[in-house]
Amino acid sequence: MNFLTIFARNLKQGPQTEAFPLGPAFTPERLRGRIEFNAATCEGCRICERVCPANAIRFAKTPDGMTFDCWHNTCVFCGNCEFYCPTDAIHQTNDWDLSHVNADKFDMVEHGLIPNQTCVECGATALNTAPMVKNAKPPLSTEEYAEVRARCPKCRAKYLKNRKVPA
Amino acid sequence: MGLIPNFKNIATRSPWIYRINAGSCNGCDVEMATTALIPRYDIERLGCQYCGSPKHADIVLISGPLTVRVKDAVLRMYEEIPDPKVTVAVGVCPISGGIFRESYAVLAPIDQYIPIDVNVPGCPPRPQAIIAGVAKAIAIWRERL
Repeated sequence: MNFLTIFARNLKQGPQTEAFPLGPAFTPERLRGRIEFNAATCEGCRICERVCPANAIRFAKTPDGMTFDCWHNTCVFCGNCEFYCPTDAIHQTNDWDLSHVNADKFDMVEHGLIPNQTCVECGATALNTAPMVKNAKPPLSTEEYAEVRARCPKCRAKYLKNRKVPA
Repeated sequence: MGLIPNFKNIATRSPWIYRINAGSCNGCDVEMATTALIPRYDIERLGCQYCGSPKHADIVLISGPLTVRVKDAVLRMYEEIPDPKVTVAVGVCPISGGIFRESYAVLAPIDQYIPIDVNVPGCPPRPQAIIAGVAKAIAIWRERL
């Protein structure tokens, strides 16, 4: 009688085959897929370039600022960059459908630009990176953060040193 | 004259797939086998079937970064596949070299030796991604036929 229970169960469940490509595919939420880069929260420390085993990530200095490029056709989805990123500027999405025709081979790039800015204190040209203030005590308020961000690295250090810390 | 379009319609329903391992680590090969052999992904819904001989193939799946040692064998095998054929590069290795890029033992990217039509990046790509690539390849193959 066992075969009858299996038969009934199979009738109820339907086929095990996934509907893809005729329907949506099952995608786990934490699947390691395409890299996403957010230039606004990048500190410019370049640790992701250093830890990338496939050299998929490359930073370059241009007249406009520092560019970030991740070529998806070399990325092995290891997740090192997300793990080591101090500000979560790199995020691994669960987008896995990267198949493309060969003509688009070199367009499969995640591009980001950290623009140059003029320091509000000394007037020097520096990158508009997110400041490294994770360990600042007490934590910076939103206004303080914006003030630190508008400065060059030297003036940032000065600002943080001279910051009035309430006792 | 009336028969030829009919033959064309029948022939474009079922492309046969052939796999070439150009020095792959076997990760992509396992995913390709999974794509075809287990009922969950079942690529035969698209009319595709793996064949054992390159002379019967329509769509070629190539994995691996094309190592120096295997280059001649791969090129010889590729020559044996009748035209029109569509080539799919599976995994990042044939596309760019992946983690083996710039190695002395590896001739990647593979498209400097073999004309590639569709790329499926991933290390390895999911079975669903391979199915998506094969679906693109079938579209190209129908145009060529």
